[in-house]
Amino acid sequence: MVSMQDLPRGKRVDGYVSQKVQVLRASIFLTRKLFFADPQWVIPNIIAPFIFTLVAFFLFQGETSGSSFLLYLVLGSGLMGMWGTTIYASANSIGFDRWNGTMEATLAAPIPLSWIALGRVLFNTLQGVLNAVFILVIGLAWFRVGFGLVNPGAFFLASVATFLSLSSFGLLMTTILLLSRKGGFITNSMEIPVYIATGTMFPVILLPIVYLPFAFMLAPTWGIEAIRIAALPGYVGLPTTYWQDMVIMVAETLAYLGLAFFLFKRVEAYAKRNGTLEEY
Amino acid sequence: MGEKTTTAESQIWAVSVKGLTREYTTRNFFGGVTRTTWALSGIDFQIANGELFGLIGPNGAGKTTTIKILTTLLTPTGGDALILGLNVRKDLYEIRRRIGIVFGGERGLYNRVTAVDNLRYFSDLYGVDPKVAKERIPKLLEIVGLAGREKERVEKYSRGMKQRLHIAKALVHDPELIFLDEPTIGLDPAGARDIRNMVRDLKAQGKTILLTTHYMFEAEELCQRVGVISKGKIVALDTPSELKNMVRDISVIDLRTYGATMDYVEALRAIPDVVRVVADLESEQQSIRIQTPMGADLLPKVVASLPAGAKIIDRTIKEPTLEDAYLRLVEE
Ligand SMILES: Nc1ncnc2c1ncn2[C@@H]1O[C@H](COP(=O)(O)OP(=O)(O)O)[C@@H](O)[C@H]1O
Ligand SMILES: [Mg+2]
Repeated sequence: MVSMQDLPRGKRVDGYVSQKVQVLRASIFLTRKLFFADPQWVIPNIIAPFIFTLVAFFLFQGETSGSSFLLYLVLGSGLMGMWGTTIYASANSIGFDRWNGTMEATLAAPIPLSWIALGRVLFNTLQGVLNAVFILVIGLAWFRVGFGLVNPGAFFLASVATFLSLSSFGLLMTTILLLSRKGGFITNSMEIPVYIATGTMFPVILLPIVYLPFAFMLAPTWGIEAIRIAALPGYVGLPTTYWQDMVIMVAETLAYLGLAFFLFKRVEAYAKRNGTLEEY
Repeated sequence: MGEKTTTAESQIWAVSVKGLTREYTTRNFFGGVTRTTWALSGIDFQIANGELFGLIGPNGAGKTTTIKILTTLLTPTGGDALILGLNVRKDLYEIRRRIGIVFGGERGLYNRVTAVDNLRYFSDLYGVDPKVAKERIPKLLEIVGLAGREKERVEKYSRGMKQRLHIAKALVHDPELIFLDEPTIGLDPAGARDIRNMVRDLKAQGKTILLTTHYMFEAEELCQRVGVISKGKIVALDTPSELKNMVRDISVIDLRTYGATMDYVEALRAIPDVVRVVADLESEQQSIRIQTPMGADLLPKVVASLPAGAKIIDRTIKEPTLEDAYLRLVEE
């Protein structure tokens, strides 16, 4: 029989960075476990991509295969899937704890809530990226489009950067969801405008002028531009270059992160003032 | 008590609460205040290092509010509280690292994953060295009697197992001070006894414990000192035996009856010398508790008031318990 006295103890992890890394890792691991514990993950990740590509296939059956228009289409479906999961990711980050009844236990931890939420959002966004890759693969196989990227290295770099900017946007959305009672409404009503504004469906340049400021404020708009420049031969989009797109995206992503961390302080203050963030 | 809290004071007191108040405002859709409730209207108490202190009171008395403030989850409206010498308004993370919290009820666990997954996760949030956690978690699971079931999803656990996991979770980071908010609520008698045994073990390990409950025998059995809280005020604070002294002038008649109704309870209350009657009429057999200075001498009148068709199955004359003192305190 073990007694409480026999319990091993040790020094705390208390380095500023090592502490955050530990929490991020723990949050990512737990989110992954929770994700795979629910068989519903099959729907957004396997079934939805198939349906996306199927619809596109029937719509554009007559197109000559191998054209860059089809590559554009497949890429667009993938990017759209990624956006969808980002929005899902933010709703399901700390929002998950809210309805799971673990908000209080999470808030009681000696670590800012933002780091726990960031882990959740990173995993969920990564899962969106895998989902996009999956759409890309089946789409390409289906249309028999050769995957001739203009610049594979630049494509990869832009993809990773877009993933990070989507995550930071997801983190910012999380705070808005937590601070607002009508969080679900906001995410749902944002989904379509965001798809359009960031140019997943068609290039931003085709948008009515009033949308442009909104589109330009969304970091992934620039990421998607950069991805297209690196992927599509002869792509004509915004008058910016690949590197200009990348720099603007990084700057906006950092601004999102700063704002998200600031708003998380507000969320924590709100929780302390009211004693709860749980939904009843 | 001095006006200022000195270091020496914090070496004695694990918890020191002065003039603590908390107001809740409920707002309507447009942000206007619809109602304000004073959940705590100025409470004071201290808990010594290594002490097992109980806070008892009826529903809505302010027990959870007190615990939330002391665990830094809720800002007080007024007053001060020091936890291990640290200020609940300012030293949030340092306090959180050194305390463990067990809330009663089903909430607070990730049900879709295993007990080990839950404990690993919370270990990491509390900055426990992963090497230490790896050895500590299996032992903790053994202590709380979950060894062998640790690879199952928590959703398959019984209510009692979940509560034991809650305790393990509160202990992952080896806290000095442990808060338990109604830890046995909703448990079957065996499950509740397991939890009480664990609380006793923790005390034996030198941990300081603040326990809230509305089961008086639990407080009487476990706690060295008890604060009785009612409507946001501490109405008495002493050892269980001193609190019982308040009611040493009375004795208790416990009845088990068949077919008794509220009318009978009212008839009992009308008898002179009956101080208080508490009845549970819900089940097929009713239990009725009569407080009286008369003791057994009251029995003839008790029997005489019995309506036709009702029966007394069993009766016992008892010494008053903490429950009797409590009933007097929360009624006044
Ligand atoms: N979040 C809240 N908003 C408004 N009123 C609250 C809130 N939490 C508790 N109260 C009120 O404060 C009082 C004390 O509640 P609580 O501390 O939960 O009591 P206990 O734990 O002793 O049952 C009750 O009247 C309760 O209704
Ligand atoms: Mg309570």
